[in-house]
Order: sequence, then C-alpha cells, then structure tokens
Amino acid sequence: MTKRMIVGTLALIGVFVSTYLTLYKLGYIGTLQCAVGSCETVNTSRWATFLGMPVAAWGLGFYVVSLALAFTSIQERYADSRTMAVALAVLTGWGTLFSGWLTYLELFVIHAICMWCVISACIVLVMFLVSIAELRDFRPEAA
Amino acid sequence: MAKDRLEAGRGRRAEVVRKSKAKSKTPFYAAIAVIAVAGIGALAYVASRPKNVATTVDAPAIAAGEAQGYLLGKVDAPVQVIEFADFECPACGQFATLAEPDIRKRLIEPGTISYRFYDYPLPMHKNTWAASNAAACADEQGKFWEMHDQLFNAQDQWNGQATSRPKSKFLEYAKALGMDANKWEACFDAKKYEPRIKANEQMATKRGASQTPTFVIGNKMVGGAISYDHFKALVDSALALAKSDSTKPASGGDTGRSASVPAKGPGGR
Repeated sequence: MTKRMIVGTLALIGVFVSTYLTLYKLGYIGTLQCAVGSCETVNTSRWATFLGMPVAAWGLGFYVVSLALAFTSIQERYADSRTMAVALAVLTGWGTLFSGWLTYLELFVIHAICMWCVISACIVLVMFLVSIAELRDFRPEAA
Repeated sequence: MAKDRLEAGRGRRAEVVRKSKAKSKTPFYAAIAVIAVAGIGALAYVASRPKNVATTVDAPAIAAGEAQGYLLGKVDAPVQVIEFADFECPACGQFATLAEPDIRKRLIEPGTISYRFYDYPLPMHKNTWAASNAAACADEQGKFWEMHDQLFNAQDQWNGQATSRPKSKFLEYAKALGMDANKWEACFDAKKYEPRIKANEQMATKRGASQTPTFVIGNKMVGGAISYDHFKALVDSALALAKSDSTKPASGGDTGRSASVPAKGPGGR
C-alpha cells in the first residue's frame, strides 16, 4: 500500500467515526458507546456546534473530502503529482490544527474527554504525518 | 524509498517529479471494502437499537397525575404543536438552541402555531427528572420557558455526566432568572410536580413517541432534532390541511382529551 492509500484508508475510518457522532448529535442514536471518558458531556457542550452545524458534521465533511482526494491521487494520472501530495498535506494539516483546538477545549475548557473525539484526532494526526512523509518523497536527492 | 522514486535532473532545480512503480491497488480496495462493510454494519446496528434502554435510573415510583403541557403562543392558533422532550437529551438541547429560536420568532410570535412542551424523561438520563422538576417549579413563578432555555443552554453543566447533584446548578439558574429562590427550593425539594411529569411521560408513551424530541404537528408525528425548515414544512402542510377542511381543527395535541392546556401560558416571546 502506498502512503496515499494509507491516508485514504484512515479517511474512510474517520468517515464512520464522524458519521456515528453526527447521527448521535442529530438524535438518531440514543446514547454513545463510550467506554472511556464523558462523550455526552463533550457532545452536548456548546463547543459541539461550530457555525451552526455539529462539529461532527464538519469532521464528516473533512473526511469525505480527504477520502476523495486520496482516491483521486492514486489514479495513474496523478500518481506522481506533487500538487496532490501538497494538497493532502495542507488538508490534513488543517484538520490536525482543528482537532488540536478541539482537544484543547476538551482538556481545558469542558474538562471532559470524548473517546470518539480522541480517536478522530489520532486518525487526523496519523493522516497528516503520513501525508508529510509522502511529501518528503518529492524532495530532491542530495548531490 | 525516496531514492527509488526521485527523478531530479542533475543541476536542474530540484524538480519534483517522481516515477512511481506501478503498485497493485487490490490490497487497498480490499481494505476499503472491508472497512466500508464493517462501518456500515456497525452504524446500522447502533441506529436500529432502541433508544430508550434503561441503564441507570428508574423513574420515581409515583402515581401519575394529570398530563399538562407548558404552552407558548396563542391557545387558539390554527396549528397546534406538541413537543415531547427530555431536558437531558442532547438532541433536544440541539433543537432547543438551534431551531427553536427561529420557530418562536417566525411561527409562534405571529400566532401561526401554539406550542406545548411535555416532559418525556428518559430512563438513561440521571438528572432529567430533577430538571423537569426544576422547570415545573419555575413554571409556578411564571418562568418555565426561561428555565427551559437555561437548562438546554447549559446541559453540560448539570447533566448526569457533569454532576450527581444538579440542584445547586438549578438553584443558581432560578436566582439568575429572578425567581423567589426560597419558594423555588421548597417546591423543588417537595417534588411537588412529579405526578404531572409522570403523566406527561405516560402521555408521550401513549402517543407512540419513540425518541426525544418528538413533535406532533397537525396530524403528523416526527422525531429527532429537526431543522427549522423541516419544522416549517410540516406546519405549512398542517395549515393547508386546516384551510382545506375548516371543519377539522389542525390540532396536534390531545388538548381535548388527556392533556389539559394551562389557561395562563407564558405567552409568546
């Protein structure tokens, strides 16, 4: 598997995690399975909504775009495209920053941790690290 | 790996072209297929499970009194709407904070609908009975809707995961909303309105509400934290029905049967 495929695979896992949280937020799921932490506290807090939409729905959008980008980037036409590598790194970098902010809110503002949010943050972080590794493949060789 | 892939012209600007070795995509697509099937299966499973599973708290063993909703708006509005909701339910909180302000401004204040809130405390929420009790005691001082808004706005401060003793928070809200704190506290401690809350809960069950929030709008029942647009579409449909058949009121409630509508509603805001 190439690095881009790894990013795509992680994005798909993220799609399901964020869909689960979005369905909960929209009331289609009664309670969250939350073995560790306080998922309801986090997901019912005022921080669980961003610009009028559930944060989980923004996450879902992010993962769907990442998945689409990863799929596109593994096609023959774009397989050697540095632009695609940059796009993946920028997108996942932005996702990492946003996740970092959410994790900060959980730890220092809400004072509760949501297991699913942490899983999502880890997925985004790994996607970003893999994307950076992918981007480094394009660096010129030292003479 | 970078060495294999890199194709940089010697002396040229570090051109960033690489030649990938053709790699089979089969493992990737196989992994994607497995994750997709597992994910869809898991989501379908959790979404299909009953939402009202008792886990931690049993409803108080009390005899039901008379069901009574809390009215907002004109009692004789052309469309009557009922909401069955749980103060501790996140979806109810979402509806109350996102869609309800628009509903009040655009549908209740102009007199298009009347709106009744009925408690539907779910067993998995530890502090929801206390919250319903707090709101009922606020109603005694004409501040039900103020307390309703405060409870939903600050769910994370008093819900079962935040505290096992929500009373101090509720008392704080009662004071902030300008209530007579002693009177409110006496009412809260006496659990005076639990029979009514119980009756409201039974009414929700009887009406077939399977989740919170559930709305009865005209002759339609819908569940979930629906958007304002969805809500408005249902109201429009009920209005059209009422106009086409003026002999039948577009009543969504049991107002003439098991529910008694308080004559003195706080009124539209």
